[in-house]
Amino acid sequence: MTSDSKAPPPPTLNFTAVFIALVAARIWLSLTDLSNVLKHEQELSSPLTSFSQLQEGIYLFQHDVDPYSGGSFRHSPLLLSLFTTVLPSSRTLASLLWTLNDVAGAWAMVEIWRARQHLRSSPRDILIASLYLLNPYIFLPSVALSTSSLENTLMLLSILFACRKKASAALFTLSFLLHLSLSSILMVLPITLLLVTDPHSHLASPKALAVPLKALVLPLGEFAVYTAFLTLVSTLVVGGGDWISQTWGATITLPDLTPNTGLWWYFFTEMFDHFRPFFLMVFSTHLLIYIIPVCIKYQYDPLFASFILIGILGTFKAYTTLSDPGLFLSMIAIFPEIYPHMRHPIVTALLHLHAALLMPLFNHLWLTQGTGNANFFYATTLVFACANAAGLVDCMWAGLRIAIGEEAEGWAVVQE
Amino acid sequence: MLLGYRLIWPATLLHLCLAVLGSQSELFTEKLTINSLQDGKVASKFTFTALLKGASPRDPKTLDGEDESQHYTLFPLALGQILREYGVTELHLTLNAGNWNYDRWGYPGESGVGTGAELWAWMGDGASKTVDERWKGLRNALAGLFCASLGSLDELRTTSPAESFVPEGSLPRWDAAHQIRHASLPSEHVCTENLTPFLKLLPCKSLSGIASLLNPHRLFDADWHGMGVHVLWHEGEGVEVRLTFQAVSDPLRSLLGKKQDWSFQSLYDRTIHRACPVAQSSEVVVSLPTNAVYAIQPEPHAVERNLAVYDVNTIDKPLNIRLIWPDPFTYPLEYHSDSTPFSVKRMLRGSSQAWGQLSVVITNHRSTEVKTLYLETMPWLVQFYLHTIQTRVNGVIKDGVFSNLTYIPSVPHSRPTTFQVLLTLPPKSTVEITMEVTKAFLRYTEHPPDAQRGWDLPPAVFTPVEVMENGSSSPPLMGRIYSSTLLVDLATPDFSMPYNVIIFTCSVVAFSFGSIFNLLTRKFAVLRFPPDNAQ
Repeated sequence: MTSDSKAPPPPTLNFTAVFIALVAARIWLSLTDLSNVLKHEQELSSPLTSFSQLQEGIYLFQHDVDPYSGGSFRHSPLLLSLFTTVLPSSRTLASLLWTLNDVAGAWAMVEIWRARQHLRSSPRDILIASLYLLNPYIFLPSVALSTSSLENTLMLLSILFACRKKASAALFTLSFLLHLSLSSILMVLPITLLLVTDPHSHLASPKALAVPLKALVLPLGEFAVYTAFLTLVSTLVVGGGDWISQTWGATITLPDLTPNTGLWWYFFTEMFDHFRPFFLMVFSTHLLIYIIPVCIKYQYDPLFASFILIGILGTFKAYTTLSDPGLFLSMIAIFPEIYPHMRHPIVTALLHLHAALLMPLFNHLWLTQGTGNANFFYATTLVFACANAAGLVDCMWAGLRIAIGEEAEGWAVVQE
Repeated sequence: MLLGYRLIWPATLLHLCLAVLGSQSELFTEKLTINSLQDGKVASKFTFTALLKGASPRDPKTLDGEDESQHYTLFPLALGQILREYGVTELHLTLNAGNWNYDRWGYPGESGVGTGAELWAWMGDGASKTVDERWKGLRNALAGLFCASLGSLDELRTTSPAESFVPEGSLPRWDAAHQIRHASLPSEHVCTENLTPFLKLLPCKSLSGIASLLNPHRLFDADWHGMGVHVLWHEGEGVEVRLTFQAVSDPLRSLLGKKQDWSFQSLYDRTIHRACPVAQSSEVVVSLPTNAVYAIQPEPHAVERNLAVYDVNTIDKPLNIRLIWPDPFTYPLEYHSDSTPFSVKRMLRGSSQAWGQLSVVITNHRSTEVKTLYLETMPWLVQFYLHTIQTRVNGVIKDGVFSNLTYIPSVPHSRPTTFQVLLTLPPKSTVEITMEVTKAFLRYTEHPPDAQRGWDLPPAVFTPVEVMENGSSSPPLMGRIYSSTLLVDLATPDFSMPYNVIIFTCSVVAFSFGSIFNLLTRKFAVLRFPPDNAQ
């Protein structure tokens, strides 16, 4: 034995060991009865992502009632067909499945980080995996079996495949994601850009897009083909086109006003009837407005553009759950280069703390205790929206400011 | 003057001839049935029947053309016009107040005792106007006729439960099939303004005959009261309109209330002074106690199987029938219900305004297995989770209690749920069905003015049936059994601040949008501060 081997081991932890420990902890959590306790929590699952609704749809499908003939079932026919055939629909098995799904998401995020840094492994891997697996915004919806957890994993996988230049896999995953959630159409352009460029960080050295726009045509066409194929499959599964208005249509027309963490539900509860279609159009268009400016501004770093658009989805889309902003928050871990330039991270953190503590409390006070009213919960969702927007704007600022470099004595960085 | 008298005589003769002709094709009968109930209350049921002999319902195909002229003498014209205008074959409208207690009062004389308003109609298809358009016209016309909010029986509450509401008369064999439309409005209250148009449909109004006992002051003071309009077509006979009024009065309620005695005077505060001249038959039937000492005055015309029958047309007036018990009334320790096979309790459990649990407890009193259809026609406000249905027999979870599921899921803001199953109730046992439900969140304009009161949900309907060997269920054994209505407490938004919410949300969106586009459109610049020359 040499003296070297007697020396204490290096302080870095073994990634595999820590990852397995994290997974074990999550599996233990999934085996508790928490999923039954949390299944009615409105912050964790929206009508579009609730597992109870999915089970109801499966029940109706198996009893020869078209689940899309009514108004309650709003899940994609793809989920319906998967859960009636290969995937389990009992709560216990589903809890395991959701945990494994989160594990896949965490692994995808670690791999995205490695691809961005061009590394095989790094000491930061553990931090990134645990930031995904232990983020309460992500694991609570997952424990409540919200299908938004599946959407998050699909999003991360799609980005990972795009980082690895696996065009078909990335576009197919993205097209599947589009079938689960129409709002993810925001991600088509940045992920396609990511596919034709590279995932490395160019935030500090902006340059114009190196590839011609013509290069986007082929991936976009491929994406359209996959989407058309999955649409056809969905139509065949349920034997009709009713699912389109029930799933995608619900995102646009907001028929179910069940409270969630987003901005839409109370706005359209209180909206005057004759202005409803106009504001539905405004809120839907508002989401689409961001795609092109964000992709133009961050054309040199499409992974960062994807990250920003995920933040916009988590803040402004219809039927959000906690896992949508949760994905944005966890993804901040992939971009450590912007940390020094953030202007108000503590304010953002405090806003999140405020909203996260008061949201479940005020929801309970309003709906169960009866001692509060709707404004209590609405106010906390407004604070939550402010918290998300603050984080988003801060990250965007930092992502742009980094290109200027350190401030020198006697010089100041301002906006024109 | 002289000329005038000469003209009047032939006109009067002609009128008399027409009246005679009319009375041959139309038949009017009236009947009052009075029952003493187990808990000391007295149930009275008024039935007025007008039969239009040889008439048949209007074929919907002829709805576009000119209708044949309608000349009625006894048949209510206002109702007849509505029936022909919308081509209605069979119609049932009931307006009830209170909850019929099957366990204590037995099965009612008229089966439609669901709380609130209930309207169902069978209409032939095949007209240029769809069944739904005519259903809308029908309910609005009836709303106008009976001064009730039947216009609210809109598509939010309309279902087509053909198996539970089978036609009571016959349906003509037209080319196009018949369809049923059913709706109920449990929050509707029946009162004087509904009784007045009801009385106007009678040939003698409330001036003479049995109808003169219909005194709104006493009827609407009863523990339970309800009126019904039933239009049927009997093949080979004609169109029948049956107007019914049921009331459950409490003779023990008065201060002297130790005895169950009643009389027309005490029940209705009126007596019959004149017979209705156009009534072919007009009888009062009193069911007599079987195991108690009693006295009945005046002496009945006939007594058949504990039923005392009076003919109002021939008896001495004024008529004031009295039933007198010498002994004070003692409440029975337990009620035995022979006329209903099972009793039903329905509840909505859970304190949350977002979700709850529907629980239906059915106790089969018979020593034989009973099969029954269980129908829920639930507005979209309460949404069922069928995958959470659990059935317990005597407290033990057991499958196979229900079969033949028919389910039409609700559509938010429009269609109600139709849920119907065939239940098999084992002998002498209690079956409990539980199901999780979610409660809807409404737009602020959809709430009623008294939003915090909650929403009344229609009663569940149970129809006992006999199932054949080949699996098809026969026509119902006996009438429908209605459960009590439910009240659901829905979450309310703050009605006072739509502007505030619009402004707050728009501000947050605008601030975020502004900040983001500020960053996206403005370039960064590095400026040099001039050296501080001032100091």
